[in-house]
Amino acid sequence: MNGRSDPAVIRAAGLTKRFGDIVAVDDVSFEVRRGETFGLLGPNGAGKTTTMQLVSGLSPLTAGELTVAGIDVTRDARKVRNVLGVVTQQDGLDGDLHARDNLIVYGFVSGLSRGEAEKRADAVLMFFDLTDRANEEIDNLSGGMKRRLAITRALMTSPQVIVLDEPTTGLDPQGRNRVWQELDTMKQAGVTVLMSTHYMEEAAALCDRLAIMHDGRFLAEGTPDDLVSRHAGAEVAQVRVSNGSRREIVSWIASAGLDYRDAGAVITVTSPSGTRPDLSGLEGVRVSYRPANLEDVYLSMSGRTLADD
Amino acid sequence: MVAAQGVYFAGLRLRSIAGIWFRHALVLRRTWLPSATWYFVEPFVILLGIGLGIGALVDDVDGVRYVRFVTPGIIIGSGMFHAIFECSWGSFFRIQKGVYETTLTAPVSTVEIALGDMSWAISRALITAVCIGAVAAILGWMDPVSGLGILVAATLTGMLFGAMGLVFAALSPNVHVLSLTFTVVASPLYFFSGAFFPISVLPDWIEPIAWAAPLTPCVHLARGFETGDLGMSHLLAALYIVALTAVLAPIASTLLHRRLIK
Repeated sequence: MNGRSDPAVIRAAGLTKRFGDIVAVDDVSFEVRRGETFGLLGPNGAGKTTTMQLVSGLSPLTAGELTVAGIDVTRDARKVRNVLGVVTQQDGLDGDLHARDNLIVYGFVSGLSRGEAEKRADAVLMFFDLTDRANEEIDNLSGGMKRRLAITRALMTSPQVIVLDEPTTGLDPQGRNRVWQELDTMKQAGVTVLMSTHYMEEAAALCDRLAIMHDGRFLAEGTPDDLVSRHAGAEVAQVRVSNGSRREIVSWIASAGLDYRDAGAVITVTSPSGTRPDLSGLEGVRVSYRPANLEDVYLSMSGRTLADD
Repeated sequence: MVAAQGVYFAGLRLRSIAGIWFRHALVLRRTWLPSATWYFVEPFVILLGIGLGIGALVDDVDGVRYVRFVTPGIIIGSGMFHAIFECSWGSFFRIQKGVYETTLTAPVSTVEIALGDMSWAISRALITAVCIGAVAAILGWMDPVSGLGILVAATLTGMLFGAMGLVFAALSPNVHVLSLTFTVVASPLYFFSGAFFPISVLPDWIEPIAWAAPLTPCVHLARGFETGDLGMSHLLAALYIVALTAVLAPIASTLLHRRLIK
């Protein structure tokens, strides 16, 4: 099979992973096309990391078919890791080596010669604007820099696909912005990315297509805009409630034929027709309207918020 | 550009093992000054203290000057500590910090990680053996030519205790359990290996236990090379070390696999 001419770099069909009685990934199918960024959006425990480990050939499948760049992962997991660059959730940087040597060791163990690894390390450090940190101790790097360095490391072998597990989890807003910038640069350079996230903004900003994941399954799949318009409509209403009035308000919304999700202090209301929900008949409450987003899609499909663990 | 798959031997990717060895060598190059205390200063102080102190009280053991008796023991003991430390403490933290998780994202297998660590354990045992051996030779406490034989014993020691260290690294849930590697295993072995006194002076009931303890054959073999008086017992010692390694290395590799691959 010629991996280069196939428009899909990753093909997963019926992907399943069980740990004893727990089904971490439950019959999931998807394709990632060359040059696109495909995201898995879901809360912790949805099965995102396990899916990525299956794709990376780091964990054997329980069932299903999976090819990456034309390589059958179930047959040759090692070869798959040759064409992937993987960034695990734990940056996995080696604190006994400084930044540049982390890259060189990874390049060397991946099969580059020492000379090639050194050249490539300097090139990717420059690409991510980390050249002045080349000889820094890992412990002296900020969280954002560590993550960027881990992404840089994954680029060492010029892989066909980068697998990024929650690239900005645990970073401060500055660090997150910076990582987003770098990922965007990478995307412009035509790198294919499979990423997971539980940040709705991140999925919306970076992913060409995404799947919403919940309890090991895909709830929906599509472009961010498509998912929002299909499952949450154009606009949602947010009603602030106090405990005393909650029951009354909820029954009013239900009788008006609207969908609602009760998330504590705020009830989010969507209209099944996809139009702006009409709450003009509801008196004595604060109602605000905002454009629908992926959070609403997740909420409407799973009945939970992304922040729920 | 796709990185080359590399050369395989018996299903093992040699670049993986070389890459891990290379990583360890880079770390040593960075930390050689503080590491020198480990490789050289500490065992040298032990050698000097025991050699000058006990050596002044004891004329000879089994017809050998005490300092010549004790030198191979201290060289091999230091080799054991280096090998077991690298593969227990060192490997444990590489597991904990996700360093090996990252290594596995390259086309590397857990067996190759185990062998890479063991190969470095051997290197460490050899480095410390050369350092102390050189000084001992200068002091006239060891015949420099026989030192080459001691390097063979150090290689086997590094291999065996590298494998043993990895078993502990892969089994220990936390550092407190991991520290048993030293308190319960390495230190007792050191003192009952025949490094400092012949096993024959121990009470009868301890003797067989001391002979079966894994450091004892290593010391016995090194001492055989030092005195040049090699016999069947040394061949058996070497075979015993190889057999123990052949049992422990696959266990270490299997446990490491279980720890790293879910």
